[in-house]
Amino acid sequence: MIIDLPNTRTREISAKIDELHEERGESATGRVLTLLIRTDDAELENSLEVANAASREHPCRVIAIVPNTHASIVSGEGEATSESENAADESNLDAQVRFGADAGAGEVIVLRPRNGLVDHLDTLVIPLLVPDAPVVAWWPTNPPSNPSKDLLGAMASSRITDAMRSSNPEATIERLRRNWSAQDVDLSWTRLTVWRAMLASMVDQPPHIPIVHARVTAPNDFLPADLLRAWLRLKLNVPVDFEVDENAAAVTGVYLTRQDGGVLSLERPHEDQSIISVPGQTPQPISVPVRTLEDCLTEELRRMDPDEVYADVINKGWDLISH
Amino acid sequence: MTPGKYDGGMSNTPIWTNPLRDPRDLRLPRIAGPCSLVIFGVTGDLAQKKLLPAVYDLANRGLLPPSFGLTGFARRDWTNEHFIEFVKTAVKARCRTPFKESTWENLAKGIRFVQGTFDDPAAFERLSNTVQELDRDRGTQGNHAFYMSVPPRAFPLVSKQLAASGLSRSSEGAWRRVIIEKPFGHDLQSAKELDRVVSEVFDPSSVFRIDHYLGKETVQNILALRFANEMYEPIWNSNYVDHVQITMAEDIGIGGRAGYYDGIGAARDIIQNHLLQLMALTAMEEPVSFSAQDLTAEKTKVLSAVRLPKDLRAHTARGQYARGWQGSHEVVGYLDEKGIDKSSTTETYAAIRLDVDTRRWAGVPFYLRTGKRLGKRVTEIAVVFKRAPHLPFEQTAVRELGSNAVVIRVQPDEGVTMRFGAKVPGGSAMEVRDVSMDFSYGRSFTESSPEAYERLILDVLLGDPPLFPTTEEVDLSWKILDPIEQFWSTLGQPQPYRSGTWGPAEADEMLARDGRHWRMP
Repeated sequence: MIIDLPNTRTREISAKIDELHEERGESATGRVLTLLIRTDDAELENSLEVANAASREHPCRVIAIVPNTHASIVSGEGEATSESENAADESNLDAQVRFGADAGAGEVIVLRPRNGLVDHLDTLVIPLLVPDAPVVAWWPTNPPSNPSKDLLGAMASSRITDAMRSSNPEATIERLRRNWSAQDVDLSWTRLTVWRAMLASMVDQPPHIPIVHARVTAPNDFLPADLLRAWLRLKLNVPVDFEVDENAAAVTGVYLTRQDGGVLSLERPHEDQSIISVPGQTPQPISVPVRTLEDCLTEELRRMDPDEVYADVINKGWDLISH
Repeated sequence: MTPGKYDGGMSNTPIWTNPLRDPRDLRLPRIAGPCSLVIFGVTGDLAQKKLLPAVYDLANRGLLPPSFGLTGFARRDWTNEHFIEFVKTAVKARCRTPFKESTWENLAKGIRFVQGTFDDPAAFERLSNTVQELDRDRGTQGNHAFYMSVPPRAFPLVSKQLAASGLSRSSEGAWRRVIIEKPFGHDLQSAKELDRVVSEVFDPSSVFRIDHYLGKETVQNILALRFANEMYEPIWNSNYVDHVQITMAEDIGIGGRAGYYDGIGAARDIIQNHLLQLMALTAMEEPVSFSAQDLTAEKTKVLSAVRLPKDLRAHTARGQYARGWQGSHEVVGYLDEKGIDKSSTTETYAAIRLDVDTRRWAGVPFYLRTGKRLGKRVTEIAVVFKRAPHLPFEQTAVRELGSNAVVIRVQPDEGVTMRFGAKVPGGSAMEVRDVSMDFSYGRSFTESSPEAYERLILDVLLGDPPLFPTTEEVDLSWKILDPIEQFWSTLGQPQPYRSGTWGPAEADEMLARDGRHWRMP
């Protein structure tokens, strides 16, 4: 169910949501968090789809904010100021409420502010937040240069960026690193969880011979590969070589050399098949599907406390590897 | 349960730590090390409906190692291919996560079948060879778990064969574990005998007793509710609690389990393990940590402090379902079930009162009840509070007010309900009536939480025992139940109750004697 609320006010949106909850016999108190999505029209539907899927594990209220930056020209009324006293007539906000099949396990609110309202996004969403529940901010593509100082970001207890999907990944990650704060995390890191888990359990196995060298193969300018190298460099404290795999779409291999010359390796030559090789044993295949955006967002919503390992990796490990 | 203390599960050398593991790295899932699972009785119901799908779901969630083997042992004259097809069908029918061909392909590569009977040493020789072949080809490195999905009377034989074929012994750095299902005996003596038989072959720390109730999320949530919160603990004692009711009701009859059930009965089948475990978790003191050892210490303390009523006739009740209508279906009585002796005195309903002799619970009775063919399928723990010492209202205002209660709903619709009084709106006079406040797992968390068996199998493969009852707990539970069973055996026929109701009149009288009544779950 999708309900359009053109030229509306937050109070009307709240009332509409309460009304729908009552009508449908649902309670709004089961929501565990509010997910704020700051995005644009091109990315909106895709982001909502991902958020709705993630909401099945974490029932949440999704608020997508899509500022309409061309609005004042369209309205043609000259100074359509948001401060005007009779704002009831001149709304700066179009909204949409989605329920049921269109909204995963929560409800979706799409806000399209225009004119002066685009500079006051924090007070715009405050009346719509789930009471007494954490707020998570997610920028599906281009994040602000300083998420913690951003109006929406500052309200959030967890800030999710995705430098890899921004228009300039290298520049974006540099900015994010410079302005990093403890509640920030980038999905490039989340994409590595399965690889890291498999590498860790590979190293768990005896014999526990120290690792003296590591090598990662991946395409050039692939952000998760840089984070993986930084993590290995930091944790193993050994040189980590990088080998460009021209045709690859993601990390294709990690090779850990032990002191006795034996090499532990984890390779993913194909889409979702990986091969684990350990000295003296037959290589074993295991299916490792490429992580979807939905997997990553779901994982991020699972824990909201700062990820200290990620902090170490981007603040310390990053500077120890070649770029 | 101890995320901070996880060290990879496999390392036997305490000095070495994996540089890639960091206690602060909470993202990394626990993945079992190279190992294999051997299932005896793999064609049985449990294996088909629960174990095989759980193994697939674990693989699909990426929690099984690439070096994983699954061996089925059964009488049927099957080839490997037959068996793989059988597993695939079982998995497809019941898996919780989506069926992915790629996951299945990899899992199937490690699946083996060994044909044989438990009395055939040659079959165990073949099993031994198969397991060694897995070590060689799949790199399972000598780590093997044996799941006894077989009747308890087969345990001694299987254990002996495992010992004789050398399968129960592990080489250095590797492990062998055995998993046994309830019933753990039918009284204290048989439980001890069973334990002796198994521990002759396996080290006690390698024996995992599965009580699948303890793998349920809601049961683990009892610990979270009690020990992660501030608002319950102050009132979780005899100052405020009037009594506790623990209910496990089933709407089904004995089905095809006549052979197992007759002579065992509801108390041995359910109270001895599930209900006493739930009671222990509800009543125990705060453990020092959630490690297996500390958790067991507290549960053991409670179980050893349990006092039976002096007059068992007044404070226990039993019943047997008679014919009737279960909801919308007509059903036969217990004595008319196929394979049941017409004069069977086995109870299908049991209710007992227990007291816990500790300062916390002095004077607070715990009522445990279970039965088949009851009103509906429900398991819950209800902590019922005393009435407020003074009610500053007219008597008429609180006539409809019951006792406050915290109800932990274990299944279905997992969650927590609180019952308390609220003012009825409007009206000229003050009127207070009971209302419920609800927390539902499904609403606040994931839609489908892992099956209990997924969690428990993974815990066995990781060697993480907090959710498995120990020998001592099993023995203590039998010590509680044995006198009651002895008393009941002198009584003759249990009181019949109509199918689809909430049990025999005897049970209602039992609570009425204490001035209480059963909740309707």
